[in-house]
Amino acid sequence: MDESLQRPAGIEGSALKGPFPVGAYAEMLREELRGRARLQLFGEIWNLRKTTARVYFELRDARGAVPCAMWTNKFEALGEIASSLSDGAQIVVAGGPDYYPGSKTSSPSFSFDVTALRVAGEGDLLAQLAALRRQLQGEGLFEPQKLLARPQLPRTIGVVTSESGKARDDILAGLQRRGWAGTLVWGFAPVQDRKAAAAITEALTDLAGTQQVETIIVARGGGSLADLFAFCDETLCRTVALLRVPVIASVGHHTDQTLIDDVAAESCSTPTHAAEAAVPLDINAERDKLRFGVETLSRHAQRAVVGRARALAALARVPGTHITRQRRELHQDARELRAAGQRRLLLERERSATVAEVLRRKTLAGAGPDKLARMRTLEGLSIALAAHDPKGVLERGYTIVDDGEGNVITTAAQAREAENVRLQFADDAVAAKITGSDD
Amino acid sequence: MTEPEQSYEIATGRLEEIIRRLDSGEAGLRETLDLVKEGRTLVEYCAGELEAVSAGLDEIKLDELIARLEDQTPESE
Repeated sequence: MDESLQRPAGIEGSALKGPFPVGAYAEMLREELRGRARLQLFGEIWNLRKTTARVYFELRDARGAVPCAMWTNKFEALGEIASSLSDGAQIVVAGGPDYYPGSKTSSPSFSFDVTALRVAGEGDLLAQLAALRRQLQGEGLFEPQKLLARPQLPRTIGVVTSESGKARDDILAGLQRRGWAGTLVWGFAPVQDRKAAAAITEALTDLAGTQQVETIIVARGGGSLADLFAFCDETLCRTVALLRVPVIASVGHHTDQTLIDDVAAESCSTPTHAAEAAVPLDINAERDKLRFGVETLSRHAQRAVVGRARALAALARVPGTHITRQRRELHQDARELRAAGQRRLLLERERSATVAEVLRRKTLAGAGPDKLARMRTLEGLSIALAAHDPKGVLERGYTIVDDGEGNVITTAAQAREAENVRLQFADDAVAAKITGSDD
Repeated sequence: MTEPEQSYEIATGRLEEIIRRLDSGEAGLRETLDLVKEGRTLVEYCAGELEAVSAGLDEIKLDELIARLEDQTPESE
């Protein structure tokens, strides 16, 4: 079709060129705008809206505004920052002007085509973070985790981290250093993109819900504050604060302070330290302590039994020693008694002899008319008296039998009972043994 | 009345108390033998706890654990 045939006549009296078809002009306009210098703009973001393909917002400041558009996939790649954007946030965008020429059925539009975006300063993020931190602290959410009992030897530990991150190896190294080798449940989750906070929250909730996991470690390596922003997510932090299982956080380097560090039971500077905090006891050192305990108990048990047994044995020997001493003293007494008896016998014998001599002299002195009769009487008395002298009896062939210790045996029954006896003759004594019955 | 829950830290704390008492030399024969008996029971418990966390590292993924628990649930009902 001949375009010139369709072109209407221009406006009468106008010095301007044309008229031209609008579509051609729109295309030309688009090309012209696209040819303008690409640059960066900054301002506040307003009226953010998303579609499957494109994200739209306005960039404003006090003097004016520019409509902006960005491909949705590029916007999503911003991660947690994209979620944190809200009206009024200061941002920097890079790109250039573009024009969508529209069509017969769609409206044209002008926009600044954004190819890159960042929050205008961490100051803003930090301000948001500080506000949220004050809010959570004000609600008392920093305390509950710190009040939970921490198992010294957890049998099952849950870990939330990236499946491919270095933190995973560091945690294993920390646990190995403690000598810990129990059950480790890995709750792998993205730790940076837009979905990270939700995924981490879900993994934490699931781990705590298993009833087996006694301690949970959440770990991520270092990064910019924007990279770590998932760990400042309000929902995530509120969830952690109210979990009944202690959470040990190690997010970023020690200079970073994310909100999860505040609400967790403990915050550690590295994943390795987090692992050591999850198992506070060094298991090898504990084994040594137990060995020492066993040795100490055994030593005390042995000392208590053996030592006291020796003391008892010493006490048991005391009666025997006492009896021996008493026996020795009794023997001594018996010897002294025997000696005293013999001395007394000698004295009695001497006294008898003296009395006999006195009687004999008196007999001689008193001899009178009946001298002969009295002498005979006296002689008879003297003989009777002499007959009572034991020595005389012995000289006549009699023998005194005693038990060897001076106790005189006067009956056969006593002799049989004594067995060992002593026969006292006039000149000496001999020991004898009762060897049989009287038959 | 239920007994208080035993834990490694409670057991080792009591064991240290026992050893301090024995080391003091103030315990008589009966008390010493009772303390030694109690101490040996505590040592056995603690050794069991250490064994339970050092027998061998078992790594499982959360999904696997959840699946395992879900498999067990119908059986327990």
